[in-house]
Amino acid sequence: MTAPSPRRASEGFGRVVVFVYGLLALAATARALSQIATRFDSAPLAYSLSLFSGLVYIVATVALARSSGRWRTVAWVAISIELVGVLVVGALSLAAPQDFPDETVWSQFGAGYGYVPLVLPVVGLVLLWRTRGDRVPGSTH
Amino acid sequence: MIGVLTWLVGALCLALAGWAAWRAVRDQPVVLHQLFGAGVIEAVLVVQVVAVAVLLASGEGVSDAVTLWGYLVSVLFVLPAAAAASFVERTRWSSVILALAALTTGFLQYRILVLWLA
Repeated sequence: MTAPSPRRASEGFGRVVVFVYGLLALAATARALSQIATRFDSAPLAYSLSLFSGLVYIVATVALARSSGRWRTVAWVAISIELVGVLVVGALSLAAPQDFPDETVWSQFGAGYGYVPLVLPVVGLVLLWRTRGDRVPGSTH
Repeated sequence: MIGVLTWLVGALCLALAGWAAWRAVRDQPVVLHQLFGAGVIEAVLVVQVVAVAVLLASGEGVSDAVTLWGYLVSVLFVLPAAAAASFVERTRWSSVILALAALTTGFLQYRILVLWLA
């Protein structure tokens, strides 16, 4: 890519990241709500995790879209939770599949979503790192 | 009926995704004509929602109506979100977003068709 890196995390390429986060937020939340509404008792852990991951994606989407001041801190935290979540749940879903009888967005490291849930937090953290200079207005970065 | 609509949306989405990808490669932002195209797809999606509602009300059965409705409603938000992004992002990245939105909408048609036939 020859274009200079965007000044704000929510512009240029960053807007693509925000959009994909929005898609995942919609997918994970909608799936969790329908799972909980129709068959919560059959896999309470998996469906609770689905809802939790959906809420984290919503927070990350909003925080990245704002991506200034305190919202950047929120984005760092939310995206870090996602990365830990997809790694831990991904490993657990392989190690103890009996606890995950139905899919969550993080099962098998997000394989059901083309591994987007595994790649996206890394992209998000790199984006935040590369645009860290705009945290303080008028900083010399 | 539903099968025809899902295939129609899928084909339109592929065409729009190709158009948007072509503009992204050439470093061009989304243009208004593409948003008209997205509007046509949205119109077909609304027809699809109405058709499913009518068919279900008249006794047609599916095994998981809640999930089907989840997909039918969720998919309505994808292209408008990309359209909104293309107004504020006047670079090639709006084209990337529109291409992703069209591909997602098209892929969700496959899930909708599977749920409809189940």
